[in-house]
Amino acid sequence: MESRKYIGRSARSKEAPRYVTGRGRYVDDLALPRMLHACILRSPYAHARIVAVDGRRAEALPGVKAVVTPEAVKRLSRPFKPGRYAAGLRVPIPEYAGAIDKVRYVGEPVAIVAAETRAGAEDALELIDVEYDPLPSVVSTEEAALPSAPVLYEELGGNVAWEGHVAYGDPDAAFARADRIVRQHLTMHRYSSTPLEPFACLAEAAPERLTIWCNSQSPDVIYEALSEALGIDAVRVIVPDVGGGFGQKIHLIRKYAVLTALLAVEAGRPVKWIEDRSEHMTAGGHSCEQEFDVEAAVTAEGEVLGLKIRDTDDVGGSVSTLTIHFTNKLNNLFNTYKVQHLRLDGRSVLTNKCPVVPNRGIGKPGMCFVWERTMDLVARELGLDAIEVRRSNLVRKEQFPYTTPNGNIHGSGDYEALLDRVLVNVEYAEVRRRQAERRGGSTLLGIGVVIGVEPGGRNAARDMAIFPQSAQMPGSGGVEGATVKIEKNGSVVFTLGSPSCGQSHETTAAQIVADVLGVALERVSAAGTFDSVSSPWGISSSNSGNNFHLYDVGAVHGAATRLRDKVLTLAASVLRADPSLLRIEDGVVIPRGTGPRGPVESVTFAELGKIAYTNQALLPPGFEPGLQATYYHSHPHADPLMLPDMQGRVRAQYTFSSAAHAAVVEVDVETGRVRVVRYVIVSDNGTLINPAVVDGQIYGSAAHGISVALGEGFVYGADGQLLTLTLLDYGKSTTLETPRIEVEHCPVPDPFTTLGQKAAGEGAAIPSPAAIASAVEDALAPFGVEVRELPLSPERVWELIRARA
Amino acid sequence: MTHSIRLTVNGETYEREVEARTLLVHFLREQIGLTGTHVGCVVGECGACSVLVNGALVKACLMLAVQADGCEVTTVEGLSTRGALHPVQQALVDGFALQCGFCTPGFVMAVHALLARTPDPTEEQIREELSSNLCMCTGYVQIIEAVKDAASRLKSWNRGST
Ligand code: FES
Ligand code: FES
Repeated sequence: MESRKYIGRSARSKEAPRYVTGRGRYVDDLALPRMLHACILRSPYAHARIVAVDGRRAEALPGVKAVVTPEAVKRLSRPFKPGRYAAGLRVPIPEYAGAIDKVRYVGEPVAIVAAETRAGAEDALELIDVEYDPLPSVVSTEEAALPSAPVLYEELGGNVAWEGHVAYGDPDAAFARADRIVRQHLTMHRYSSTPLEPFACLAEAAPERLTIWCNSQSPDVIYEALSEALGIDAVRVIVPDVGGGFGQKIHLIRKYAVLTALLAVEAGRPVKWIEDRSEHMTAGGHSCEQEFDVEAAVTAEGEVLGLKIRDTDDVGGSVSTLTIHFTNKLNNLFNTYKVQHLRLDGRSVLTNKCPVVPNRGIGKPGMCFVWERTMDLVARELGLDAIEVRRSNLVRKEQFPYTTPNGNIHGSGDYEALLDRVLVNVEYAEVRRRQAERRGGSTLLGIGVVIGVEPGGRNAARDMAIFPQSAQMPGSGGVEGATVKIEKNGSVVFTLGSPSCGQSHETTAAQIVADVLGVALERVSAAGTFDSVSSPWGISSSNSGNNFHLYDVGAVHGAATRLRDKVLTLAASVLRADPSLLRIEDGVVIPRGTGPRGPVESVTFAELGKIAYTNQALLPPGFEPGLQATYYHSHPHADPLMLPDMQGRVRAQYTFSSAAHAAVVEVDVETGRVRVVRYVIVSDNGTLINPAVVDGQIYGSAAHGISVALGEGFVYGADGQLLTLTLLDYGKSTTLETPRIEVEHCPVPDPFTTLGQKAAGEGAAIPSPAAIASAVEDALAPFGVEVRELPLSPERVWELIRARA
Repeated sequence: MTHSIRLTVNGETYEREVEARTLLVHFLREQIGLTGTHVGCVVGECGACSVLVNGALVKACLMLAVQADGCEVTTVEGLSTRGALHPVQQALVDGFALQCGFCTPGFVMAVHALLARTPDPTEEQIREELSSNLCMCTGYVQIIEAVKDAASRLKSWNRGST
């Protein structure tokens, strides 16, 4: 086993020095000779037939080099194959990169122009003549599901594009023996993670291959999209520094990669396209608005016997991500609870709004919201304490490794300890005392305590449990690679198979490499960012699904271990020693037993590097020259339940971090304004490789969930026009509204992962909306207010109070 | 029609022809290659484009290049000297105050300006002053701590350099 000199320490960031000096390299920072700039003409209508698009006046403008209209998109490209994101689509619907004969949301791309300058391309857009035949639009799922509603895709005969369900245990029997059934209708609104850097693509169609620089989180999606749409096999995807992802840059971005590439092919010159903020807000993808009809079967003591949920997902104006917010609920279907019976019915309804995309948790914040709102409701209806209701339903410490009824295996944890600890840290009794003091005043205090899991490490076969009839198997388990190399001069470089979007992957991976190889951290660096021709990648090579800790850590650890063996073999031969008697310290191989003083026969990495690359005569027989190792990692404990069994049980993800959150809020009864006074988290992320990095992930995702609960979100007019086009209108929290989040770690190592690590990324975005909802409801308890909808903007809170006062 | 402008950026003088509509941020990024200044919104809401113009903090997407004619501009590239990080930069690095780094140049400039005006800011002042810079990754916790750290580093640094 490796030493732990760096693993577990908040080692200084490797990436940060280049970012603080402005030397990050994002797509928009790159320029190629003869590069053109692209701009997109987008639909002003929420729903319209495209009658004609004429680009001739734009083409005639000096400096304009290519105009791609719907006719050209259809002629020059092919529709995407419906992938796993669209699983469940009942009739195939060809989806091209741009609109073809209809637009279904405001901002849908209609035409794209390449010109010598960005300003020139913008000017050209005004000269494209589009004739639309506007159609009635529909923006609510309720209306969209009516037989009389305007239909987005005629092929489907209606807007309810998918219906299905999963059931585990025997929910009907659980409901039959319940003392009580509690019910509520819950709503989570549309929001996004608004990465600060919008979408960006730079494409170059060279004779040997098509290269695209793209800020994609999942280069695999871009790779497939370009091959499918353009029929090109020789594709190279490069992902330089990425200015935030959060799920936003996984899927929809492929449209723009294809359109940019198409222009590059047409113009015969490199083309850069940079999305602007309002384009991103309107058409860059939103999280799904989700509605839940929830029924819980409970005993008089507050034990939850079963849950029935009807989930309606507003998927907007595209079928390409039809079921992602449903399928992702399999990942935390039972949250932290030992409940055995559950039925989840899902419906995906099309509306004339922006398509939906993955987004810090995709569906999981909704699932957690359902559970945690239910626990509060059960407590209220039975006159019990909400924390005790949770406690009595938790999976107990001695049940780990715990298999949930749908097949997820929670490797380790102690949920009750998290709950206890968060109560101590938030000073629960003291908050209750202060709350009582303030009763009757104009600012009321409330506390919400919730718990949730953060699943990590995706199993590609998950969706087979829901769509067993799928024609194509989506893959299974996971594969990710890494390469580690000792250079001729003894320094160490590594290449990961996946891109990073700011999660300090270089730092974290370097710590592992340094410890496994026994070399100073300063000597280790990443060779570069993702490049599909040189990065060892597989299905898990994605900055999504919380994959890094399971797959990248496993891969880089495996590659470094392989390289260490190689180093020891070569050193043993050079030193004429038994390899098992060698140790490595600070990049020097030393025979065990020899002390720091006295004559030691040792050999440095630099000496070994020189031999390995230049001196064949000194290589032991059978030794492959060079000092480099590549390792592809799959989770060694991916079974059981990597593939679904007869009951539809399947591992959705492989690791389960968990956390308890306590929010203390102050609600101004006159204005409805909510201020978060304290936000306390106790988190189990397994073995921490770099605690400060993990803290950062927790702070960021919690802040996002809090902002979402307090009012950030998209608002549409009845005509399908987006009213929140800017970050200000959208209501993103700033330093003024974001509380000082407090985190304590109570890690329980995972028994099945390389270092005992579990996921750390989007986790705190999952329970935080529920925590704020609980706290606001608690504050407003004197009014008997029930919180069933997000966001809790001042207007909504004020209305809730007014309705009861 | 173009206009000719002359300005100093990070101590170097540039004379360029610009279109009247060219924003300062685009001039910096595209005409003189200073890509450290970022564009997150181009309407003055995110602060990613923050630079100093004649010592004052300015959002470079809200200023035309022609308006910067005759001005002295400092960008994130102009803060470190001979490879050594400026104390503000070092404090942000050491405090894990960034993740994707896209907002970071703007924060570096905003913190620099804040500490020049208020060398000993309270947490409230920090939150107030930085509220026009958005970060989507960090939740601000480590940024605010790093600003406090930068304040004390800056004091000894200033003592050292006078
Ligand atoms: S780009 Fe200037 S403030 Fe956002
Ligand atoms: S570090 Fe990513 S936006 Fe601030």
